[in-house]
Amino acid sequence: MSRLDRWFEGVARQSARRVSRRSWLSRFGGVLVGGAALPLLPVARAAEKHRVGEDGVKGREGDPTRCEYWRHCAIDGFLCSCCGGSHTACPPGTEMSPVTWIGTCRNPADGKDYIISYNDCCGKTFCGRCICNRNEGERPLYHWYRNNDINWCGGARAQTYSCSTAVLVKAAKEAQPEK
Amino acid sequence: MKRLLALTGFLLLARPASAESYEEHDYLLNCAGCHRMDGSGSRAVPSLRGMRELSEMPGARAYWVRVPGAAQAPLTDARLAALMNWLVERFAGQKPSPAYTAEEVNRLRSTPLRDPIARRNEMRRAASHQRWRLHRE
Repeated sequence: MSRLDRWFEGVARQSARRVSRRSWLSRFGGVLVGGAALPLLPVARAAEKHRVGEDGVKGREGDPTRCEYWRHCAIDGFLCSCCGGSHTACPPGTEMSPVTWIGTCRNPADGKDYIISYNDCCGKTFCGRCICNRNEGERPLYHWYRNNDINWCGGARAQTYSCSTAVLVKAAKEAQPEK
Repeated sequence: MKRLLALTGFLLLARPASAESYEEHDYLLNCAGCHRMDGSGSRAVPSLRGMRELSEMPGARAYWVRVPGAAQAPLTDARLAALMNWLVERFAGQKPSPAYTAEEVNRLRSTPLRDPIARRNEMRRAASHQRWRLHRE
């Protein structure tokens, strides 16, 4: 028997003599529950607030899997970043609609406005995860190309809506609506 | 006096460089969603590259401003005129001559087309008839 096996055997026998099974189970359970509860502590939340994410933005506004992500300011739909894709790419098996609605969002990191294209991913049934409905700068249906209640998958080969992306196009000259 | 004149001249020369140009910004926010970034269009929306074919036809200049996407764009007459000048140069291959002005755009967009496809077909038919007549003569 190798030295390592002997050492493990020794440790296992020693702990079996000292620690009861119930005590071990209760401690192990405590570690599991405690570990899961750690992110609920104010310390963990404070740390999240200072974590620098996408585009140099701190906290939830820099996390593309969150509705609070700064580029999602005018989105209405399921986030592709929760559906097997990302905020710039469609999940496998879906196609990015060539027609889309385009708006502006302000990047909190530099305070500038950017043009964001909300291309829908089409071809599979709706994703159903991470619904996000912010609609800042959206216009009523009579301004149809500024409206996000339209099924923008109309321009794709398959018209079934799955989820939405938020692709940064370039810096905007001004925020919507135009002066 | 000379110094004042020099300063006025400098300011006049400096003005165009400092003026904000919104053409591309306005194109991205008001046209590119449907006509796409490169103007190629899709199954549902015509390609802006077709402007080159229309540019030879009488009535094209007014048609481009009267189509619903242009006439109803939430832009001032001056911004739409600047956008149209940029758009025609980019997709029809030459600058509109004379350039669109805010007054002209205001007049044209006040009568938007109810049926742009019918109007386009009408322009095509008229152009083809004209070509046929020229060929016969």
